[in-house]
Amino acid sequence: MADYDEDANRLTIKLVYYGPAMSGKTTNLMQLHDQLRPDMKGELMTLETQGDRTLFFDLLPLGFRAPSGLLVKFKLFTVPGQVAHDGTRKAVLSRADGVVFVADSQRNQVLNNAESFENLAENAARVGLDFDAMPLVVQFNKRDLPDILSEEEISERWQDAQWPLVFASALSGEGVGETFRQLLEPVYQHMNRKYQMDKNHGLDAAGFIRGMGVQDF
Amino acid sequence: MDTLPPGDAFDRELSLRELLGVFASDRLGRHLVALLGDYRLCDEKNEVVLESGNAAVDAPTIGIMLDIEPIGRLQSPANIKTLKAAAGLVEILLQSQMRYRMASRLHEEQVSHDYQRLQQEHAALLKSELKYRTLAAELEARVQAQVETLKTAERQLYQAEKLASVGQLAAGVAHEINNPIGFIRSNLISAIAYVKDISGLRPAIASGDEKKILTAWKTADMDFLLEDFQSLLQESIIGADRVARIVSDLKGFSSIEHGKEERIDLNESIRTVCNVAGSRIQQKAQLVLDLGELPALQCQPGHINDVLLAMLFNATQAVGEQGEIRISTAVEDGDICVRISDNGCGIAPENLSKIFDPFFTTREVGTGIGLGLTVSRDIVRAHGGHIEVESRVGAGTTFTVHLPLKGR
Repeated sequence: MADYDEDANRLTIKLVYYGPAMSGKTTNLMQLHDQLRPDMKGELMTLETQGDRTLFFDLLPLGFRAPSGLLVKFKLFTVPGQVAHDGTRKAVLSRADGVVFVADSQRNQVLNNAESFENLAENAARVGLDFDAMPLVVQFNKRDLPDILSEEEISERWQDAQWPLVFASALSGEGVGETFRQLLEPVYQHMNRKYQMDKNHGLDAAGFIRGMGVQDF
Repeated sequence: MDTLPPGDAFDRELSLRELLGVFASDRLGRHLVALLGDYRLCDEKNEVVLESGNAAVDAPTIGIMLDIEPIGRLQSPANIKTLKAAAGLVEILLQSQMRYRMASRLHEEQVSHDYQRLQQEHAALLKSELKYRTLAAELEARVQAQVETLKTAERQLYQAEKLASVGQLAAGVAHEINNPIGFIRSNLISAIAYVKDISGLRPAIASGDEKKILTAWKTADMDFLLEDFQSLLQESIIGADRVARIVSDLKGFSSIEHGKEERIDLNESIRTVCNVAGSRIQQKAQLVLDLGELPALQCQPGHINDVLLAMLFNATQAVGEQGEIRISTAVEDGDICVRISDNGCGIAPENLSKIFDPFFTTREVGTGIGLGLTVSRDIVRAHGGHIEVESRVGAGTTFTVHLPLKGR
């Protein structure tokens, strides 16, 4: 749940990149760090890794000021993808305001994707998030690799799902900003309902997305 | 929900004071004095977190950033370049502190998560253990119930076998009783005719004419009639006695008295059994009794009778047309031995080891279910004894029942 600190005049929004191991969650954050042009951009903080694998989480802080002067601060987290780190995954997912599910498009990863998505649904329920109502975008990453599921196959499989589907190549940055933008829209709707962003802070959806510097792509 | 309250969450915003902590503050203060001389470090609410003795209020100030926003300010009259460098060092320290705090808090959450999960698993295990314990107990009860059912079934089968032998018995008994009943009835019909004849003398006797009476007496052949009448009645009494004896022998088999222990003369039991089964046996074989003198035996007479009857029936079924069945008794080594021998077909060697097995029978369906010897052996064992069998195919079989005189 977003943290609205009246004293500090700050709204902290937590977004989590979820998905199976090695699907490109950290790469998404690295790309966002390079691509986004918000007023305020912190360093990508990476906690302990083992090889290329995240053990705890990555954190990218971003922010901008609303016309009212409110600091809208984003904390973008990744979770460790390996099955063993479920406790960490659950803790990181707690209080999330939005989730990007980063799936691996390779054919041999279908099962891992499914298991991880199921794990997301389970953990969401366990930390008290309404899985059906929370902002969620599904990104199919690694479109640049051979032997991947075709866009048609993926679209067909996900056609009954309610979540937006984005195809990406995080390594080259393709689709990363689009994924983020797709997530910001429902996140804004939630924030606006809860904190009257439009009325009290002069911030509409377009301003919200522009504030994060996403308009460039 | 099973997470920590948000106040303790790993990703909550931390203040400058929290990040420095007491230990770091102390050491940081010493280094800042060495770098800057007088200084003052305030948090974002302008509250002093660390300062040297007498920092100037109007000295130059520089913001301390963490993430994307200022978390505090450093103020000192020192050279601005030195001040900036000092602020940069504090930022590095804070960032490192923040990483450490987040990681350790997250680790704590994870450990607590794992612990909760272990506890849940432990509880589930306890529950399943209890379930299996209950199941095991139930299983035992079920096995008991099954054993009980089997026992009941066995008893029922034993009863059925008994009923079958009783049926065979009844056929013999019916024949035995039918015979005397037949001639008693025929005698009684003759008696009615004789009474009529005697009544016919009444007018002659009433007339008082001696000659008339004599004629009538002769006509009616009264001398023969009276003699025959008497022998008719005599015969009928013998017949009725025979029926009475059969009935009394049968009583020995009534199951009502089976359970009681009594001291009995086993020879007497053998005679009773032979009487009861006699007609069936005598149709086929000659029965020879060779009974030695026996002391009284403490036993359950009803059960022992069952054993003798079963042996006798087996022998009867084994012998051919001109068979002989011999029953002898004697005392040997403190046991009463009852030998039932026949000169019948004998038992094939491959069957000899199986004859006491339940439901083993070589007979046709419907003539026996194969429990006779099983039950007999159980009864004899219950009396502390045992049964021996010798047999040769074509020559005959001898069953020897040993019943100890002393104890079981």
